[in-house]
Amino acid sequence: MFWPGVAAIWGALFAGVASAVTYWRVDRGRRDLLVFARTTYAAFVACVVASAAILMTLLLQHRFDVSYVNSYSSLELPLHFLISTFWAGQEGSFLLWILWGSLIGLFVWRSAKEQEAPVMVVYLATFLGLVAILCKQSPFRLLPPPYPEDGVGLNPLLQDPWMVIHPPVMFIGFASLSVPFSFAIAALWKKRWDGWIARAVPWALLTFLTLGTAILMGGYWAYKTLGWGGYWGWDPVENTSLVPWLFTAALVHGMFLQRARKRHRKVNLLLACTAYATILYGTFLTRSGVLADFSVHSFIDLGITGWLVAILGTFVGLSVVLLAWRWRSIPVESEEESPLLSRSVLFVLGIAVFCVLGGVILLGTSAPLLTRLSGNPSQVQTAFYGKTTSPAGFLLVFLAGLVPFVSWKGESGAGLFRSARRSLIVGAAVVLLAVLLGATRADSLILLFVAGFAADMNLQAVLRKAKNGKLSGAGGYLAHVGVGIMLAGIVISGAYAVSKRATLKVNVPTKVGDATLTFLRVVPGTAQTKQAMEVKVDRPGGRSFYAYPKMYTNSRTGQLMANPSIKSSATMDLYIAPQQYDPGQPETFGRDVRLTKGTTTNIDGTGFTFRDFNADRSAMMRGEKTILVLTDLTITPPDGSKHDVTLKFVFHLDGREAEAQELEIPGVPGSKMRVVQVSPNDGAAVLRLVGISKDPKDEHQAATVESLSVDVTRKPLIALVWGGFYVMMAGGVLAFVKRARDARRAVLGAEAADRVPAESPVAATGPAMPAHTRS
Amino acid sequence: MKKGYWIAAALTLAFVGFGLTAFQKTLTPYLSFDEATKSKGVVQVMGALDKQSDRYDTGREELSFDLLDPQGRRMPVMYRGIRPGNFKDAISIVAIGRYKEGRIEAEKLLVKCPSKYQGAEVEKAYAAKPSSS
Repeated sequence: MFWPGVAAIWGALFAGVASAVTYWRVDRGRRDLLVFARTTYAAFVACVVASAAILMTLLLQHRFDVSYVNSYSSLELPLHFLISTFWAGQEGSFLLWILWGSLIGLFVWRSAKEQEAPVMVVYLATFLGLVAILCKQSPFRLLPPPYPEDGVGLNPLLQDPWMVIHPPVMFIGFASLSVPFSFAIAALWKKRWDGWIARAVPWALLTFLTLGTAILMGGYWAYKTLGWGGYWGWDPVENTSLVPWLFTAALVHGMFLQRARKRHRKVNLLLACTAYATILYGTFLTRSGVLADFSVHSFIDLGITGWLVAILGTFVGLSVVLLAWRWRSIPVESEEESPLLSRSVLFVLGIAVFCVLGGVILLGTSAPLLTRLSGNPSQVQTAFYGKTTSPAGFLLVFLAGLVPFVSWKGESGAGLFRSARRSLIVGAAVVLLAVLLGATRADSLILLFVAGFAADMNLQAVLRKAKNGKLSGAGGYLAHVGVGIMLAGIVISGAYAVSKRATLKVNVPTKVGDATLTFLRVVPGTAQTKQAMEVKVDRPGGRSFYAYPKMYTNSRTGQLMANPSIKSSATMDLYIAPQQYDPGQPETFGRDVRLTKGTTTNIDGTGFTFRDFNADRSAMMRGEKTILVLTDLTITPPDGSKHDVTLKFVFHLDGREAEAQELEIPGVPGSKMRVVQVSPNDGAAVLRLVGISKDPKDEHQAATVESLSVDVTRKPLIALVWGGFYVMMAGGVLAFVKRARDARRAVLGAEAADRVPAESPVAATGPAMPAHTRS
Repeated sequence: MKKGYWIAAALTLAFVGFGLTAFQKTLTPYLSFDEATKSKGVVQVMGALDKQSDRYDTGREELSFDLLDPQGRRMPVMYRGIRPGNFKDAISIVAIGRYKEGRIEAEKLLVKCPSKYQGAEVEKAYAAKPSSS
């Protein structure tokens, strides 16, 4: 163990527990302990920051005696990737989550005011479980000597700028969702039903923004790196960040509803608890190894499954018990019945659809776990998600389209139709355009209609607000405009993508779709760039360009990496994903025989026994680029004699061709043998034998031409997905700014609403909160 | 307002029903090789690649190979499409498809490569690179 780091983490655990316990006593009436509670919280933050700083320092100093540093980093990584190794492994990413959480807590304690004690007790509890995991599964474990001189390195797929910032952004979202949860639990505990909403809204919005951004970054990374042509694969890792985001979106809407109407308290308490629970459940699913057989990601079980289950159980249990206990005492305002076509009803329906959508995705992701209970663990096909999410998506966007022209008081159908006429025409125009461009599928046309309708309805609302100089209040509408645009992009680029597969022989123009592709050459990699394939693309109309899809072997792992080349334009992306490169082979004479260790293979009367390798492993560990492998064989020719032979094989890690010693096969005059491949992992070697076979055809391999296989995909209007997302996030930022400002102002007013006892002087003097309408 | 809740509840209920049906329909069970030979629907099987068994027909773009389960039993798999990039490095392969005429006709392959290069993976760097994949 690296003691300073371990001490910092244990320090964080003790300071955190001390702070939580002291806050508890403050709440029981020991107001005099408040300063001590805050001091210990500051100590908790200091310890967390210290342990993060220590881990980062160890990484930057290349301390390969530390197991975590050795496992994820290496000398050759440039600084930004070296920094990102901090969160490349489970321990580091937990630490990052805790780090954000501890820092966010500094703002929470200030804004919680008279609720500080109960809120901070819960808030600390949400992170102490994670700190405890790090005490058990420390990132500061040391390796036994001798210490390696270089680390194992960062997964080459993660060596991408998007993957450097994706995890930090995502964990801000995870951490800040602890705030609404803590406020909700404190509200249930203290029976303060309304005050928490105003203060928790900005944090829920922060989660909505950061988690959403992180999800999109992950999708964009997959699109431009992995080469399967899409940005979303319904993999458990993706789903477990999408589901909390959907519940957060539901919570944000619920909070707006409660702020505007002073009702629906139960809904928000329930949503805050559920949203947080989905984060814990997702963490459990992806980090416990329960889904190991169902994803292309390798989930490694660190032995913390029990802890994760315990944390999940604790917080779900706490939420359920508190909700059940307080359910009847949560005040329900008696109210006049809202008409069906009112904003309240739209909101409630929207929240329900969000929850159902999240629940269905969660159901699909949990399939292996659920079905394990009744026998064979099974997985759902990705078709499941398409089938279930498109009707829900349709409903959501449709509701979002109605919102701008439906007031809280309600609207008549005819009145709504009048205001919506223009947008209905826009929706129809979108459909017409799509049909003219060749769209036929009814389901996608329906979705396109509703996307155009909702985008235009909300755009009108944004413009109306802007005209009145109230753009700051148009965040929600703007976000909905983005949702509409994004839906159109998702539908068009998904349903009308055209993919063709082709094998391009070198220098032979090949027609793929309406373009002609010519594979020209392999562009060798340099220190800064990866090996790429040069492909000339001639498009109709005489426009042509060169594409450089990358294809290279990771020098550390021997893994073949392939990154697509993407030619983007406003109307479509041309996506060229390399699949396979065949360097071509001259006509060869010889027969390749694969031998495994300890077994005898008989080739036309001669026995070959592969005894052992003798590889210079220490040279490898020293990082030398040339390795000598000796292959010991015993050969028994037909004459009954027995010969021990050693063949030399020199393997270069820098990409040069291997050198092999060639010998005559004992007892077979005129023959030759040499090693062409060794794999110590499988205990196997491949020998090339010449002049031994009875049938000459066994030793003849025809020549193949150098070629490149590619998947060529045209993705129409995928730019709308990213563009719509930016608009949605811009709306989110507007809302966040407005709500954060309101929160500061409204804390005082909301206290009055909760009828705080006189012990809190701020509440008595605070101005009444201005009546708030949703914007 | 009650109306809103009622509609939401009805909507939710209908959707949950729909979701569960879709769930059951698209469920693909993980089966042992024996069970897979008896099944009719889409299944998934997992095994280690028998590295001597894979053949690739460039013209027809057909990849065929055998999977071995821990007991050493063999399941031939056919996949129409280009050989996945890290095929040869796979520690295990999941084939998703239907069992037909003595083999799995896979619609999808999940090639599981070790994403952490620890221990045994350091050794892999010794191995000569296969010439074309």
